[in-house]
Amino acid sequence: MSNFRDLLRNENMKIYRRPRTWLMIGFLILSLLLMSGLMKYDEVRNDSSDWKQQVTEENQVLQQEIQNNATADPDFVKNMENEIKLNEYYLEHNLNPNELSMWDYVNTSAMLILLVTILTVIVAADMIAAEFSWGTIKLLLVGPASRTKVMLSKYVATMGFALLLLILSFTVAFAAGAALQGFGGLSLPHLSVSADGIIHESSMIADSLQQYGFAIVSLLMYVTFAFMISAAFRSSSMAIAFSLLFMLVGNSLTMLFSSYGWVKYLLFANIDLTRYLAGNDPIRPEMTLTFSIMMLVAYYVLFQLVSWLLFTKRDVAA
Amino acid sequence: MQATTMETVLQLRNVTKKIGGRTIVDNLSFDVPAGEVFGFLGPNGAGKTTTIRMIVGLISMTKGEVIVKGVSVRKQFAQAMTHIGAIVENPEMYKFLSGYQNLVHFARRHSGIAKERIDEVVKLVGLQNRIHEKVKRYSLGMRQRLGVAQAILHRPSVLILDEPTNGLDPAGIRELRDYLRKLTRDEGIAVIVSSHLLSEMELMCDRVAIIQGGKLIDVRSLQDTTDSPQARIMIDVGNTALAYQVLTDSISDLKISILGKQLEIESDKALIPDIARLLVKADVDIYGIHSSHKSLEDQFLEMTGGEMVV
Ligand SMILES: Nc1ncnc2c1ncn2[C@@H]1O[C@H](COP(=O)(O)OP(=O)(O)OP(=O)(O)O)[C@@H](O)[C@H]1O
Ligand SMILES: [Mg+2]
Repeated sequence: MSNFRDLLRNENMKIYRRPRTWLMIGFLILSLLLMSGLMKYDEVRNDSSDWKQQVTEENQVLQQEIQNNATADPDFVKNMENEIKLNEYYLEHNLNPNELSMWDYVNTSAMLILLVTILTVIVAADMIAAEFSWGTIKLLLVGPASRTKVMLSKYVATMGFALLLLILSFTVAFAAGAALQGFGGLSLPHLSVSADGIIHESSMIADSLQQYGFAIVSLLMYVTFAFMISAAFRSSSMAIAFSLLFMLVGNSLTMLFSSYGWVKYLLFANIDLTRYLAGNDPIRPEMTLTFSIMMLVAYYVLFQLVSWLLFTKRDVAA
Repeated sequence: MQATTMETVLQLRNVTKKIGGRTIVDNLSFDVPAGEVFGFLGPNGAGKTTTIRMIVGLISMTKGEVIVKGVSVRKQFAQAMTHIGAIVENPEMYKFLSGYQNLVHFARRHSGIAKERIDEVVKLVGLQNRIHEKVKRYSLGMRQRLGVAQAILHRPSVLILDEPTNGLDPAGIRELRDYLRKLTRDEGIAVIVSSHLLSEMELMCDRVAIIQGGKLIDVRSLQDTTDSPQARIMIDVGNTALAYQVLTDSISDLKISILGKQLEIESDKALIPDIARLLVKADVDIYGIHSSHKSLEDQFLEMTGGEMVV
């Protein structure tokens, strides 16, 4: 009977022997390099040799605003006060905030995880559906492995691909940052202002990993969703189209209906956990981090269950 | 017949498939012993592919049981599949992989298939010169051969081939026939082939099951038919009218008809000497007498009433 590791090797072979996969990987690397290049270009263009003067002026402007808007939203005032504190910290410690460090490249690359998600969704959507389109599903399932095992090997291979892209993003951004800025910024602290108005220094790598962590939550949800669609439709083009459509339209729909209470039960309202970080607001005021995590777990289990039922219980007449 | 004394490797028990209230396969039961080539014969839409899909677990059975070497396909699927190799309809392969990589893919699913076994199978199906090419560039017949290679890699006890001759050239069909024979004889594999190419089945199979409208109409051994005394006798004569007259006068109930310059008689072979004597006595010139067995095709059409798609 089939060994899970061998099934996984088969699925990996089918992913990485396709020219398309390497096009996607090339595209991701190109995007990362382009992003890094643009960041460097921007830094060089905006000469910041007189940054001390700039920061001082900025603080004066901010002070003025606070005085003019003394009665305004307290959150708004608070944000500006925090900004002033940060600027003062920069001046005190002689840190140029406009000068990029290698960590800025890594942090910005976290935004490209959206691209990683889209690429993985394409692979996931094809994972089951393509076997049906190609007609190879008949040979794949007529073997000494249960359908559950076959499905699991496909899911794990998809997640492996996502992991590869994530590691690639982090590494390429890190390398580009190091090449463009040198390793000088490696030990720079990450600065943040806490609720009580005190400036905290924390590790940059922890901050970057946190950014990646949040992005991975949504990646996991969208990819699992695409996998389910793939099992349901058994057609690659349908699966890709539906998954991407959901990804792109879901957020705007949620925003559009955010005044209704039921919106909080939608996947899209819960998928972005950075909304619970200091300074951000959830879609609905009554939503909490625990609520969102519970919703995400519920959706994840539902997606897996539906995929499993659709893949293992239906007749294969392709 | 020696095959019946062999161990039974595949059993179908009341296998039934209903889709949307329509019964596509109706209470099919038969046994296939090791070492036999078992034909599955039926007109288009008879339910051959549906039955094969149930045997390999691609579709569920509404009722019944398929047992391979004592293991139920329904209850112990993975275990049962270690004994089965199959091609269901066209052998679709991964087009972006080479033939060899495709075989590696299928070999990995079974434990303990050595590289040598892959090479051996490649040679057996005659693909050694093209095996490292992408399947994209294979012809239909080459893909069919690769499909057979994939199906026998793990030395299954039951080999199931749905229309295996589809797309093969005459040499390929002959080779297929020869290595199916070899597999059954040397390795004791039971082979199940479905086809509507009747003449093909005649050359390939030990027994055939004839199904129509999802029902098993008959299972017959082909040895029996070749031994059957019923024959079609063609006589090439000078004067057909006279010969016809003579024979109908002398032998009662003779099934005889005139086909151009020939007489066609359906009768027992034992009658041939009598017929010849009668014609010689009546001064009819005989240019040739030829007798042939009733072909499977004739029997098949007789049984299914020549009605093709049901
Ligand atoms: N998924 C399905 N849903 C409904 N009816 C089906 C389905 N699959 C097959 N059938 C019907 O079942 C019958 C048997 O089909 P099957 O493919 O088994 O025939 P076959 O004997 O293999 O024919 P052929 O010689 O043409 O390959 C046909 O009438 C077909 O229309
Ligand atoms: Mg068929």
